[in-house]
Amino acid sequence: MLFGMDAAAISLVFAGAASGTLGSSGAAARVYDDLQFTLGEGPCLDSVASRAPVLVADLANVNDVRWPAYGPAMLDHKIRGIFAIPVVLAGEFVGALDLFRAKPGELHVEHLAGAVVAAELAGMPLLDLMHSDLQAAADDPDSGAWAEFNALSRTEVSQATGMLVAQLGVEPAEALVRLRAHSYATNRSATDVARDILDRRLYLEAD
Amino acid sequence: MQPDKEGNVTDTPRETRVLDAVVSLVDKLLDDFDVVDLLTELTERCADLLDIAAAGFLLADPLGQLRLLAATSTQTRELELFQLQADEGPCVECYATGHPVSVADLRAATSRWPQFVPAALEGGVASVHAVPMRAAGIVLGSLGLFGSRPGELTESDLLVGQTLAHIACVAILQEHPPTPSTVMPQLRSALTHRIVVEQAKGFLRERFDVSVDEAFSLLRRYARTHGEHLTDVARQLMREPSSRPALLERMTELAHG
Repeated sequence: MLFGMDAAAISLVFAGAASGTLGSSGAAARVYDDLQFTLGEGPCLDSVASRAPVLVADLANVNDVRWPAYGPAMLDHKIRGIFAIPVVLAGEFVGALDLFRAKPGELHVEHLAGAVVAAELAGMPLLDLMHSDLQAAADDPDSGAWAEFNALSRTEVSQATGMLVAQLGVEPAEALVRLRAHSYATNRSATDVARDILDRRLYLEAD
Repeated sequence: MQPDKEGNVTDTPRETRVLDAVVSLVDKLLDDFDVVDLLTELTERCADLLDIAAAGFLLADPLGQLRLLAATSTQTRELELFQLQADEGPCVECYATGHPVSVADLRAATSRWPQFVPAALEGGVASVHAVPMRAAGIVLGSLGLFGSRPGELTESDLLVGQTLAHIACVAILQEHPPTPSTVMPQLRSALTHRIVVEQAKGFLRERFDVSVDEAFSLLRRYARTHGEHLTDVARQLMREPSSRPALLERMTELAHG
């Protein structure tokens, strides 16, 4: 399991409302994750709202009253530690990687670093989020996920994304997906496609 | 070359020693640091770089009363001089006005500070200076400097004192030293800001049919004119479609104005 955790899930939030679990490590993780949508509070919502990780070492700590409904519900499921790292897509905080652990305790620094990397990679559109190799991809600097992350993080790609938003009337995340799809379909790098868009040599068609 | 406290001539130019001090202090800020320890070192650097006898940081408590936070000297008499300034003296004045205070010859200031001056003169202090510590538009306290000889602080002395006072403010406000769990999210957040700014450049390039550079300068100009942060304007443009038309209208006025 990822980073010494007992369960992991990625959920998306739109317009401040939790809208669903995108992927999970198993049935239990899905239950833990879904519960925050039912109760309207939880780590994913908080981490997107604050644009920062939410790290709860021990839910049983009586001084911690951040989730009056979700906290006790998770304790019933024998979960003590909850850690949520926001997932960013095209510069937008779209959801979180939620990690659940039965044992209380701080998140180890190395695990936090790994979780941040995993959340970063999870922002890649269409990436198989709960792929069993996610941790391997995070640890391997030569993995395709990293190469893609680096390519899509380039300045030209962000600028072209902005141009597409203006041209197509779509949101940045969708614009990035369109750019990426075009680069796949034409077998060209995302940077080359971005440069063509910026230089007005290429127009992507509106739907 | 300048004589140092012991009257020796030092070979290293002050500029180098100032940069050395700044780098070393900022280096400490980026690691695990103790605030009192760091501020004490700051006062020592101050005394050395400004060729003065003693330096101390006085910070205002929530009631506006100055409290001694750190000082070069552990001598009781000098400590008392700093603490006496809770009521009157250059540091209190500096704190109250937010401007530097400089008294080249303390003997002429007896009527200004009837309690502080005699005590200071008796303690061997001949000149006093104070520079404000500021953050978020408020004065936090002041850095007091005591000289054993009469004399003015030069412009460059003041700049050095002000620089060290700024570092002290950062140290105080950064209450918790950075840890991996605070640094990583901050780095990520900084990079996310950049992505949104780049998107906004592309968006404006398309809308106004200008180069990417011109788009950026329009974005900056807009942010400055409206007293907003660049990243906030970019985020509003890219993330809030409903406020886009009004924002673009104001930008159009600015572009043609």
